[in-house]
Amino acid sequence: MLAMNPTLLIGPADWDPARFPREEFATRAAAFWRANPSATGAIVYGDRVNHAELAYLTNFTPKLEAALALIPRQGSPQLLVGGGANMLPAAKPLTLVEDLRPLRHVGKTVAQWAREHGGDAPVLIGSAFMPYALHQEFAAALASKIGDKTAELRRLMGRKSARELAVLREACATLDAAIAAMRASQAAGAGVTATILAGEQVANRAGAQDIRTLFSLDGGRTLRPFETLVERTVDPLQVYVAVRRLGYWTEGLAVLAASPHPCAQRAGTVLREAVSRMQADARCGEIARGIAQADLALHPVTARIAGNAIGLALEEPPLIAAGCEERIEPGGVYSLRVGLSDERGHAIVSAMVAVRDRGNEVLWSSPEAAR
Amino acid sequence: MTFDQRLAAIRAGMIEHELDAIVAIHDGAHFIETPNPVLVLSGFKSLGPAAVVLPRDGEASLIVTPAWDADRAAECCPTLRVIAADDVANALTSARDHGSLRGARIGIAGLAFTRWDIAGRLDQVLLPAGSADGIVFDAAAAKTVEEVAHAREATRIAELGYARLVEIARPGMSEDALALELKWYTKTLGAEDNFLLLCAGPRNAAVAPSNGRTMQRGDILVAEITPSYRGQLAQICRTATLGPASADLKHKYDLLVRAMNAGIGAAHPGAPMAAVCRAINTVLEAEGYGEYCHPPHIRRRGHGLGFGSIRPGDVSLDNDTVLTEGMVFMIHPNQHLPETGYLLCGEPVLLTAHGAEPLTQRRSALVEIGL
Repeated sequence: MLAMNPTLLIGPADWDPARFPREEFATRAAAFWRANPSATGAIVYGDRVNHAELAYLTNFTPKLEAALALIPRQGSPQLLVGGGANMLPAAKPLTLVEDLRPLRHVGKTVAQWAREHGGDAPVLIGSAFMPYALHQEFAAALASKIGDKTAELRRLMGRKSARELAVLREACATLDAAIAAMRASQAAGAGVTATILAGEQVANRAGAQDIRTLFSLDGGRTLRPFETLVERTVDPLQVYVAVRRLGYWTEGLAVLAASPHPCAQRAGTVLREAVSRMQADARCGEIARGIAQADLALHPVTARIAGNAIGLALEEPPLIAAGCEERIEPGGVYSLRVGLSDERGHAIVSAMVAVRDRGNEVLWSSPEAAR
Repeated sequence: MTFDQRLAAIRAGMIEHELDAIVAIHDGAHFIETPNPVLVLSGFKSLGPAAVVLPRDGEASLIVTPAWDADRAAECCPTLRVIAADDVANALTSARDHGSLRGARIGIAGLAFTRWDIAGRLDQVLLPAGSADGIVFDAAAAKTVEEVAHAREATRIAELGYARLVEIARPGMSEDALALELKWYTKTLGAEDNFLLLCAGPRNAAVAPSNGRTMQRGDILVAEITPSYRGQLAQICRTATLGPASADLKHKYDLLVRAMNAGIGAAHPGAPMAAVCRAINTVLEAEGYGEYCHPPHIRRRGHGLGFGSIRPGDVSLDNDTVLTEGMVFMIHPNQHLPETGYLLCGEPVLLTAHGAEPLTQRRSALVEIGL
């Protein structure tokens, strides 16, 4: 789900070879080359907001300025980092790529690299995220049209490895601790900002790479990001929390309330049923339709999109939305959300679900959906 | 300047350039180095891609994604017609076909910074007559009364953040942990974002995003603390040592303070921005550091402060922008010196009739953190 994008990514993003050794990245690259047999190399763009593909292949999170990875089918990759040569020492610990260079003269650099690595056959990844001006520079520099293979790479990213799943489980534990801290803070009488920040601090101190939050000041009818201090207490307090750990996102929605919240409980029941339908090969649109058929008024936040795959990006394809023909993939991890909203109240609850070849595993869920 | 005066100036620019409407576009990737025309025209900091349609006469519209964020937008912008949308480019296409943009001669602001999957479509759909960046951002070069108040509050938060840094920074702590704690702390004071560059070492090549490096006794810690308060950034540039500083470091830092004060003294209405840079360089050149006053050692001596307009631009020798009252910008000599490495020293200033008023309560001075 979308939350406010920060101007700079702050938090631990160093490459941890014990958790993600070189073989993991080699396996990823090999799978990509198998799926793209004619590609002689890949030019991968990433920036602060959109860098899941870059991180998947290099572990690099561009905290400040954009970066480009030039990955040949044979040979060593280069990572071009924005901000000048002085930024390279700070970037070095964030990636397994050893050849780091400043990102400058992009068009000329990329064209020369493409010539040196098989002429016209490299592929682009992440070109949709490039700023307009940079994209124009690419188009001018690369004489032939280069195919964008972002969708193909994302399909590979959808099936999580054992290492990725382990990290996602840890991220879910951090998410749970953050929401528990918020619940305790609210129960102790803290205002809205203090409640939210209590959870953020717990996540930070537990080693989260990033945490993003939304909350409601109107009983769950709308969600908003932090804009300014809110000292008053709110009950029920609807919260959205996204926690990132070692690159991997998890997210959850919870209703913090002093007394049982009937709307949240109804939403929890619908979510539980929806989770049971999160099986390999199920159509995403069917899962969304199942939620809509609950004969309850859907919340505006979840009415159109009830979930998505999640991992190195907060929102990865496919979307769990009406009409979506894509299927739930075994090995995928999904965030599934159910929101209800009517004159009796508003609530959104959610679950993180790892889908297996047979069955699924709930990595985290709002308590209202727990059995 | 008031917001209405700014709007009048923009509309006068539209008449001069024979535009019927301006479309301001932003993709939701907030960044200190890129201006946000949607924020300039609406005051709204969006979660996702957003646009403002400003006709030469008549009511302006704010197109907001995700659609569920429209209530917050309406609350923020009571004088604008808020349109909830799932896709900003589709909403603008609809406005061109059936709404306020039909047959209009359109100028577009923000296109160059917008990601390609949106910008490329808009370029084709709107067929803009040209860029309206100059019209929008020049009119916002001087901050409104409200933005100045927000810059003052952001500065207050930055100074408190620095005091916190001095209180908690210790050997054995990682740069990432310190940066996360400071970001969290400034949020408790009301900052909704923070461009917080922070790093440490015996000799820094530059200021860079924090990473996992563990700080050591004797490190020089450099920090650009840049909170945003209600969408307005302010920055302080500071240097501290973990333990006692050498006499040489103290001497060199005093030189930077003198250079900064010379720059502040040179900033007054009617002066070109280049004169501020020149005044700083003159102090350093007199001490034999002339070669360090140019790239690759230094690119600029300050910059504008967004997130809206980043005019008056960089404090650099090639910026001939004439300074006017109401401008808010950074003056920071931030300098690599061969004896010390990179040092940070800088203040945010408001240009008044009497010259540059630092917004800080305490100007930069080298701090020795007692261990």
